[in-house]
Amino acid sequence: MSTLRALLKNPQGALGLVIVTALLVIAILGPSLAPNDPEAFNFGSRFAAPSAQFPLGTDWYGRDLLSRVLVGARSTVLLALLATLIGTVAGAVIGVVSGYLGGLADEMLMRVTDALMAIPSLLFALMILAVLGSSAINAVLAIGIAFTPGMARIARSVTLQVRSLDYVSAARARGESLIWIVLAEILPNTIAPVIVEGTIRVAFAIMTLATLSFLGLGAQPPAPEWGLMIAEARTHLFRSPWPVIAPGVAIALVAIGFNLLGDGLRDVLNPKTAE
Amino acid sequence: MTDTALSLRDYALYYDTATGPVRILDDITLTIGRGEVLGLVGESGSAKSSLANAVIRDLPGKVAEERGAIVLNGDDITALPERALEALRGRRIAMVFQNAATTLDPVQTLGAHLLETLQRHTDLDASGARARALELIAMVGLPDPEAMMNRYPHQVSGGEKQRVVLALAFACEPELILFDEPTSALDATTAATLLDLFRALQERTGVSALFISHDLGTVADIAHRVAVIYGGRIVEEGPVEHIFAAPRHPYTQALLASLPRASDRQTGRGLAASGARPAPRRGTMPACIFSASCPHHRADLCDGAPVRLAEAGDRRIACARAGAGEVLPAPEAPAPLPSPRQDEALLEVEGMQVTYGRDSLVDRLRGRSAAKVRAVNNVSFRLRRGETLALVGESGCGKSSLARALTGLHGFEGTTKLAGQPVRPNSSAWRARVQTIFQNPDSSLNPRHSLATILSRPLRLFRPDLSRADYAPEIARLLERVRLPADYASRYPHQLSGGEKQRVAIARALAARPQVILCDEITSGLDAAVQAAIVRLLREIQAETGAALVFITHDLGILRHVADRVAVMYLGEMVEQCEIADLDAAPWHPYTEALLSSSHSVDPGSETRRVRLQGALPKRTDTLSGCPFASRCPRHVGALCDSARPPLRQPGADHDILCHIDTAELRAVPPIWQFKTPKTTETVR
Repeated sequence: MSTLRALLKNPQGALGLVIVTALLVIAILGPSLAPNDPEAFNFGSRFAAPSAQFPLGTDWYGRDLLSRVLVGARSTVLLALLATLIGTVAGAVIGVVSGYLGGLADEMLMRVTDALMAIPSLLFALMILAVLGSSAINAVLAIGIAFTPGMARIARSVTLQVRSLDYVSAARARGESLIWIVLAEILPNTIAPVIVEGTIRVAFAIMTLATLSFLGLGAQPPAPEWGLMIAEARTHLFRSPWPVIAPGVAIALVAIGFNLLGDGLRDVLNPKTAE
Repeated sequence: MTDTALSLRDYALYYDTATGPVRILDDITLTIGRGEVLGLVGESGSAKSSLANAVIRDLPGKVAEERGAIVLNGDDITALPERALEALRGRRIAMVFQNAATTLDPVQTLGAHLLETLQRHTDLDASGARARALELIAMVGLPDPEAMMNRYPHQVSGGEKQRVVLALAFACEPELILFDEPTSALDATTAATLLDLFRALQERTGVSALFISHDLGTVADIAHRVAVIYGGRIVEEGPVEHIFAAPRHPYTQALLASLPRASDRQTGRGLAASGARPAPRRGTMPACIFSASCPHHRADLCDGAPVRLAEAGDRRIACARAGAGEVLPAPEAPAPLPSPRQDEALLEVEGMQVTYGRDSLVDRLRGRSAAKVRAVNNVSFRLRRGETLALVGESGCGKSSLARALTGLHGFEGTTKLAGQPVRPNSSAWRARVQTIFQNPDSSLNPRHSLATILSRPLRLFRPDLSRADYAPEIARLLERVRLPADYASRYPHQLSGGEKQRVAIARALAARPQVILCDEITSGLDAAVQAAIVRLLREIQAETGAALVFITHDLGILRHVADRVAVMYLGEMVEQCEIADLDAAPWHPYTEALLSSSHSVDPGSETRRVRLQGALPKRTDTLSGCPFASRCPRHVGALCDSARPPLRQPGADHDILCHIDTAELRAVPPIWQFKTPKTTETVR
């Protein structure tokens, strides 16, 4: 509760919180907010510019873009969030454990991470999908796993600084368990950069999901997934920019919203700047 | 031209912050005469460094308001444009910072630093500048100037780096040099030689200087006049001998009363812990800046008109009562409590060896062994029940490695016993009985945990007799025992001051009800009054619980108020162990002698014989065949010192010295201190 109040006092955090809350509301209520059927064709008004009837214009089948963006929010935002969450949590835990243990364990974990990072994340996600079979939830899993090495690297580098501090020595000298030292002493102090990185990755996750959908491995047409919408509208770009602009702006808003929230959280979660 | 090198008139500085303007300095009126060294002393947060920044016109904060004038040799430099200031800095005003390691650019050679300064500010041509640079390096007493020119900062020691910085400051023969804690980051013996050097150079060149330090002893040694700053205002200013012998402002009195002196054991003097609270920095100022912390504050006398620095006989003083000629009594403290020492040995360490460095995989495959650093070499000692053993030594002597080994954080060879039974430090039996307080309270308390969490962890681990419901009252009791309010339990470490944090660290160690507490440099980094309070608290706790303490420090002054026994470490070895009273007179190990001599005293009634160390430390990875101190020993007796291990001399009961010089000769060493009047603290009455 006090975190929330502090977040509202922080200008970046407050703006980010407003945008993200609005997005989540849309993600949940999207279908009932949509003025038109997102899949209804209106051949009389293909490539229409924004108007009272179609506030964001229409695409090449004359489908209402606003309705499609609103309905698509759920699959896009929630799936991207889920993918980022998986990658962040797994990466942070691996990174902190690796950084704290050091020595051979660190060496092995980090060399595996390096090997995974050498594979482009899209290719890596494709590989995982090839193993797991293509579906939206497998795409989320694949992106989550693909994000893990990068997160692990960041968490480890922060852990190396924190590990040498006296409160960790004090905990070791007290004979605390590994679980307490990692989860209670180190992890909370490495969380700021991890959260900031995580919020930036939400935008990447949306783009990767879109790419996977474009390749036919995630959402399938005519589902109004934002990435898929952009991918499909690409061929019609010269007829009308609106089918690209509407979902594009939506993705940008998500990215900005999460970045602002991330910045705000970083300040608020740091007990020293929270004052 | 005048006789004043620098004068500040009614100078005031306010910084702008997110929460409104903050008063940094105000009502500063100071002069530094030609060839004079003015010492500026104050505790942390007194804005003493801001004053130096103001004089060199390089303010780090966002200035909200600046008033008054800063005049350098008749030229008002307050409002000079940046370009004119660039020509001024380094040329007419030079600055020496605290940390030479960060002052010097690591990718430039030492010579390049000097040449750059000389080329920027003088008309010398390339060869002339080079000649001058060589001359400067020789002037600051560095050997082999030619070779020094080509060295990089990481290739020389901390003391040598600070000498180069000093050479840089003197390079263009400035009118004024600002010293901002120049010796605080150095070891005592190194700092002493550096101060000697500065004193000699100052006398030769007649440069004026502003010497800022929190260490009153250093200032007493080097300055002609001293100004005491509190909360951004000068509270007392005058000749060093007068101020230190007879402080009259209540703040100066409290400051001096909290400092240890060499004569304390003889006179039974204690350290006053009546420290000043931080001065108000926002809103309207009280009439007297010190009124909130002043023991002599009387509303009718002090709160009338604003109290400003005014002439009062031999000094200037900002106090309504003392300024009017009243003599205010200085705070006094009782001698330290006796420790509950018993004869029975509690902790025994035998033949401890701590080494750092391990062979990498590649080295092992190639059959090579990496050079290992011997941090602690064959150390044995005994700690009795209820006793305080002080481990003293300079940085790198292995005292912290010893502490880490005893805490179970680093492996070692040798045996450790608790009450006669062999116990390893990384076992739970050891942990329950031996607790550690770490040096830096800022990093030893997890910033994300409330004090309740911090204090509940040792309870959970070491006090199985307590149920979860008992934790809250026990935490309140622990906080109370270290003199903190019980409602602090819900606070976070960053909401506490440095001294309060260290109290929490003490409470955490006490929670386990230990028999031994390891205190690793727990008072360094704290202001004198806070340090005095912490030391007194430790003594009280010891009297109450009967715990034995291992008190690790580099500060010899504080020892007399906390320790029963002293162990002096040098290069990983314990060169001397003795009772605290044995420090007052010979015999000493030659290193102990140098260490004692290099600790500055503010005691105006004592004179210290100078013993200075020359020479370099041997490489830590070398196996030494002789005495570890041979390379710097002022009493080196010849080849024997370099080739043979020194024998153990026992000049008295429980007194061990590792030295080739025999006991009778060591006993004949002249005393280090001459106490003119044994009861110096009483002369101020």
